[in-house]
Amino acid sequence: MASLHEIIRRAVGALVTTGRVLTGRQIAGRGVTVFPDDVFLVSYPRSGNTWTRFLLGNLLWQNDPVTFLNIESRIPEIYFNPDRFMRALQRPRLLKSHESFQPHYPHVIYIVRDPRDVAISFYHHNVKAGNIPDDYPISSFVPRFIAGEFDRIFGSWRDNVLSWTALRQGTPGFLLLRYEDMKRDPATVLAEVAAFLEGCSFRAIDARPEALKRTIELSSPERMRALEKQEAGQWVLTKGTRRDKPFVRSAISGGWKSQLPAESLAAIESAWGGLMQSLGYELASGTVSPTMVSHGEIS
Amino acid sequence: MPMIWNRFRYGIRALLGKNPAGRRLTVFPDDVFIVSYPRSGNTWIRFLVGNLLDPDDPISFANVESRVPEIYFFSDQQLLARARPRVLKSHEYFDPRYKRTIYVVRDPRDVAVSLYYYSMKRKTIPQGYALEEFIPKFVAGEFFDYCGSWEEHVLSWHATRKSHAESLFLKYEDLLANPEQELARIACVLHADGVPGRVARAVELSSAARMRNLEEKHSSEWRLTRGTRQDIAFVRQAKSGGWRSELSAPLVRTIEQAWGATMKNLGYELLGDGNGDLGKS
Repeated sequence: MASLHEIIRRAVGALVTTGRVLTGRQIAGRGVTVFPDDVFLVSYPRSGNTWTRFLLGNLLWQNDPVTFLNIESRIPEIYFNPDRFMRALQRPRLLKSHESFQPHYPHVIYIVRDPRDVAISFYHHNVKAGNIPDDYPISSFVPRFIAGEFDRIFGSWRDNVLSWTALRQGTPGFLLLRYEDMKRDPATVLAEVAAFLEGCSFRAIDARPEALKRTIELSSPERMRALEKQEAGQWVLTKGTRRDKPFVRSAISGGWKSQLPAESLAAIESAWGGLMQSLGYELASGTVSPTMVSHGEIS
Repeated sequence: MPMIWNRFRYGIRALLGKNPAGRRLTVFPDDVFIVSYPRSGNTWIRFLVGNLLDPDDPISFANVESRVPEIYFFSDQQLLARARPRVLKSHEYFDPRYKRTIYVVRDPRDVAVSLYYYSMKRKTIPQGYALEEFIPKFVAGEFFDYCGSWEEHVLSWHATRKSHAESLFLKYEDLLANPEQELARIACVLHADGVPGRVARAVELSSAARMRNLEEKHSSEWRLTRGTRQDIAFVRQAKSGGWRSELSAPLVRTIEQAWGATMKNLGYELLGDGNGDLGKS
């Protein structure tokens, strides 16, 4: 028998859903209406998606820089916006998503990041969100991260990455970006993205070196941090989270080398080593056996 | 107007907790899912599993939904009330929340033929609809569009759950050839192995002949067959290779050109083999 508390919680939940549905304010999420010219910016959480949104927003709207306040009307996140709002946006649209493989997404830019860095970033993110206490050991966090416990609907890092790469890598309409390549040489990656978007029926994009330079400057971690300070109280993703922990964190790659305990490093590499290697991430523990490399391939 | 009506209906159902669970299902880590593209042997496995878990009360079309429910027929609330661990039927493409899956794949040429008759049974295509029209649409994934195409469906699970400790990736053809051996593998995943004779008994209780008899008795009551044409059977041939006599060479080529590489990797021999130009674009 359900408790009274549970019954009330359910009733309130159902009322809220009903109200949202009736007024067209239901968050789109997985039920988002997809148009054939849509481009989805997909990644596992904490893999540089927001930075990429800034880069692409500043590339597409070169005279009106992106902030945390206008990003949701430029490149909206499907989990924070009603379908009705996004349907009204100018097409072709760029939409942010964290879903694992979705057959109906027509064009996908998928960002992958070294899972050892994702683990650290995700750890701090969960402290910020209040899901784990400040002193929660990272070595206890990592096994739960590997099991995909913190963002159940998006799956584990492996499930998310593998589901996309196994089905779409090498097909037209799919562009795989590595966060680390974007950090190292953002101009080259941006030029590639601009060409991809033009191939997806976007209007011609100014990708001359000086335009790319400005885009990159407008999306620098320093500028994003300054904007976050001003706007974190209003942005839907940071509203109601702890202010003493920033959303834009270190924005570096390779932080795991100094921050990840040895046992956590070993756990990640033994769980996902094959997939990591196939994406070009060198393992600290050396090359793994061929049976692990076969992850994601048909054997 | 219809959109407003749909919204209204959805809203009311949400208020009453009556929307079918589908992808919105609450998933528990101990849930076991029987997953497949439609017409790939899912119902047979539901019978096998149900009969394996409780041989004293054999599965029929009248009780299968209460034993191995399908996630599209019940609301999340109704399914939350089921005893755990639950065994559920699903046709979803990869869902990362599913941790324990029994996936069954079937030769897409046989799936095509089976789906053709099934679509006629469900009146989604009219009697006499040409296979020549049906096959290209099937290849484009236009039937059951919530599943993706056959290839997307299979690959999404194959890539993620094939070499997974608590999951199983089965071929319908192996199940037909060696039902006891394959069901023993299923029993292992379900932790229902160890009782001698149970597997053989479950196979016997789930034979095509027995299922056909049960269908005759219950097909006007069962959710999946209620309101469909009763002159076309749900339990059809239950064999493999039927496509050889049903599909013309050009139709076979259409399927093999679209999915040849994946079919080969799964061990399905191609009719148009040997020229090397088949396969994924």
